[in-house]
Amino acid sequence: MDDYLVSVLSNIGVISFLALSAYLLLLTGEISFGQQAFFAIGAYAAGIATALWGWPLAAGLLLGALAAAAAAVLVGLPTLRLRGLYFAIATLAFAEAVRILLELFHYQAMVDGEPVGPTGADGFRGIRYIFESDVSPFQFMLVIWAILAATLVGFFLLGRSRLGVVLRMIGEDRVLAALQGVAVARCKVLAAALAGAVAGLGGGLFAHMTTYIEPRMFDIMLGVHALAYGIIGGLGTALGPLLGVLIDIGLLESVRWFAAYRMIVFGGLVALLLIVRPRGLLDEKAVHYIRQAGKKIVRTAAARLSISDRTTG
Amino acid sequence: MLDVADLVTAYGKIEALKGVSLHVGKGQITCLLGPNGAGKTTLMMTIAGILKPRRGSIRLEGTELVGLSPARIVANGVALVPENRLVFPQMDVRENLLAGAYQRRDKREIAADVERMYARFPHLAERRDQLAGTLSGGEQQMLAVARALMSRPRLLLMDEPSLGLAPLVVAEIFRIIAELNRDGTSVFLVEQNAHMALQVAHHFYLVEQGRVTFDGSPGALAEDEVIQRAYLGTRRTGA
Amino acid sequence: MIDFAQNTLDGVMAGSSYALLALGFTLIFGVMRRLNLSFGPSIMVGAYLGTFLYVQYGAPSLVVALVAVAGAALAGIYVERLCFAPMAAGAGVASMVSSFAIWMQLEQAAILILPRHTYAFPPLSTAAPLALGPLLVRPDHLIVLACTAVLTAAISVLIYRTRYGLGLRAIINDTVAAHLVGVDVKKSLIVAFALASAIGGVAGYLVLAVDQQVTPMFGMWATIKGLIAMMIGGLGSIPGAVVGGLVLGIVEMHSQWHFGPQIRDLVAYGLLFACLVLRPGGLFGAPPAGETMIEK
Repeated sequence: MDDYLVSVLSNIGVISFLALSAYLLLLTGEISFGQQAFFAIGAYAAGIATALWGWPLAAGLLLGALAAAAAAVLVGLPTLRLRGLYFAIATLAFAEAVRILLELFHYQAMVDGEPVGPTGADGFRGIRYIFESDVSPFQFMLVIWAILAATLVGFFLLGRSRLGVVLRMIGEDRVLAALQGVAVARCKVLAAALAGAVAGLGGGLFAHMTTYIEPRMFDIMLGVHALAYGIIGGLGTALGPLLGVLIDIGLLESVRWFAAYRMIVFGGLVALLLIVRPRGLLDEKAVHYIRQAGKKIVRTAAARLSISDRTTG
Repeated sequence: MLDVADLVTAYGKIEALKGVSLHVGKGQITCLLGPNGAGKTTLMMTIAGILKPRRGSIRLEGTELVGLSPARIVANGVALVPENRLVFPQMDVRENLLAGAYQRRDKREIAADVERMYARFPHLAERRDQLAGTLSGGEQQMLAVARALMSRPRLLLMDEPSLGLAPLVVAEIFRIIAELNRDGTSVFLVEQNAHMALQVAHHFYLVEQGRVTFDGSPGALAEDEVIQRAYLGTRRTGA
Repeated sequence: MIDFAQNTLDGVMAGSSYALLALGFTLIFGVMRRLNLSFGPSIMVGAYLGTFLYVQYGAPSLVVALVAVAGAALAGIYVERLCFAPMAAGAGVASMVSSFAIWMQLEQAAILILPRHTYAFPPLSTAAPLALGPLLVRPDHLIVLACTAVLTAAISVLIYRTRYGLGLRAIINDTVAAHLVGVDVKKSLIVAFALASAIGGVAGYLVLAVDQQVTPMFGMWATIKGLIAMMIGGLGSIPGAVVGGLVLGIVEMHSQWHFGPQIRDLVAYGLLFACLVLRPGGLFGAPPAGETMIEK
């Protein structure tokens, strides 16, 4: 696999965490413009842990996820009452505040005789864990996709669990959910924490993939993209956000020859797509249809098998 | 006045109206009865141009209304008092009335009509500067009727004006309907309250599951046994 | 003391352009109940067309201003037709994401017209600052303030005193009922969008003429400043937009003077966050409907 493809695939994998994070909140009916903040917190925490404190990668990633989840709870509590645009803008304000705080954040330590660590707006260089551990970019890509696959499995299990049903209930009608005895407030904070952790995990991987991060990377553009991925790809399944990332990064990277016009074409296509499918390509209807079709194939295959059993037996 | 022919209106694949034909006589009060979900509101919304029919025609004294925008239909002299009233809650009573005259440009006449409405609906006159959302249900219904009248309609459509109102208020509404009709306005009324409707209407239709199943005079309606049981109950209320 | 007064005065001047942005924003939101992220980029595209004429043909300021405003209005209509008109009720998120996609599109279009990162923008006035006692006022700031006052008054009259405004308020109250009384809803919405974007276009022109330079980032800047000012003042409220803009301008100016530009932005976002959490309806708007005990 050539280096370029590896870097594109790694990028798709890492950004998918952020898209999944925004998607999880969308399920509970909330629009967040601020998931990039948790991505950033995860990136900085994990980077500091491995580069400055000499922690192993797994511990660093865990710290990143936990720090992001903690921050998500912290911002989730005061914004619990807010909904719709009010919630969206509050998350935006929080995320931009985090970005500015990171621009003011200086924390350095001497590693091998050189200062390493975040230096405000100039960023955080030398998160070199994977190079120092002789992990090739290809291997690290596999790590990213393995963790992403595990996260996706987690999403599917969540979708089938009681909590998943409850979260969707809150998204559909939170008053009704409350009347059914759901502890809406607790569930929303929990969802925010989970979403924060997923973003933080992705952020940690991102920091180690690029080896260099700076506050500017985590601006509102990144957050709105994360939100858009779920809606373009589809809200019916956790694969929707992935599809959204794949379409955006994958397709755009593969049509570099018209780079100067690509946003003109792509932006227009997205707008047209949303007219036809306001809940994305893999919306609930499409997912239902695919499931039915899948069941039908399995059923006819099973029927054929049993017929052939009888004729041969 | 109004001729509806073979009207089909659908929501996606579900046809709410399956070929409705009926006639509203000039100068008359025509009443449409029917159970919930029969398609009464769908018919009203289709005549008013909010819903587009899949098939059929709606003619107002020969003018085809199908395909016209709601605004053009109002300009042609048809006004709907919608189900649940739908007053403009954040606008005061006077502004609601002015909005009713949106299609008219004769400023002086509009102002005169506002005064006429206050004379006809004294409750509204008292509350002219109050936000419509703060009015009682009965007052909102009066406002919705007055707002519709502000467009000076030749044909007034009313979708369940008695819904959720106290009996005294319902009686008041029907008194006004009869009065408007005497002054020359044709009325097409959707009602579940058949007793009240029998007192004012000249002609009845019954619609069930998107089809017209009865068409006749008040006398014929009162004699139809099925309708008696379903809509009039035993007639001991003396309606 | 004089510093405080001077900063407050400068804050009012800066805030008046925020107020204009918020006015356009709030008009769209008030009518559509949906967020138009392309509001700023529409303004930017108008400004870029004006800049193009200025850079290529040396167009005079008045032409640049007219083209900027007309271009913003046209871009606004384009956004309304593509991102808002075709979307069904309940697809507000789709509208918002769609307007974001068009933001990307408009930004790239601007870069195609003028590829460099910054361009000079014709100044509004280069006259020396006027002395107001011990305080100084830039003449171009005064022009901005005057434009804001006149436009706000004009929009108030339009919304509360004209037939068009009556129809627009009817649509805001109840769209079905607005149809029923004969309001041409489709046309009214297009006009509202064009109008709001044109107000934004005026704000954009004024800000750029004061700064005397333009970049494609201006679209994002305008969306964010307009959004913050609108949310502080209260969604869909005209006085809210004005007060929100002024408050934002004054707070920004004081914090910049004391702590520099980074803390200025931090304070602005902190103020926004605090406003949302403590008074979600904004200073002038009603608190959002549907408040329940569920999340208490």
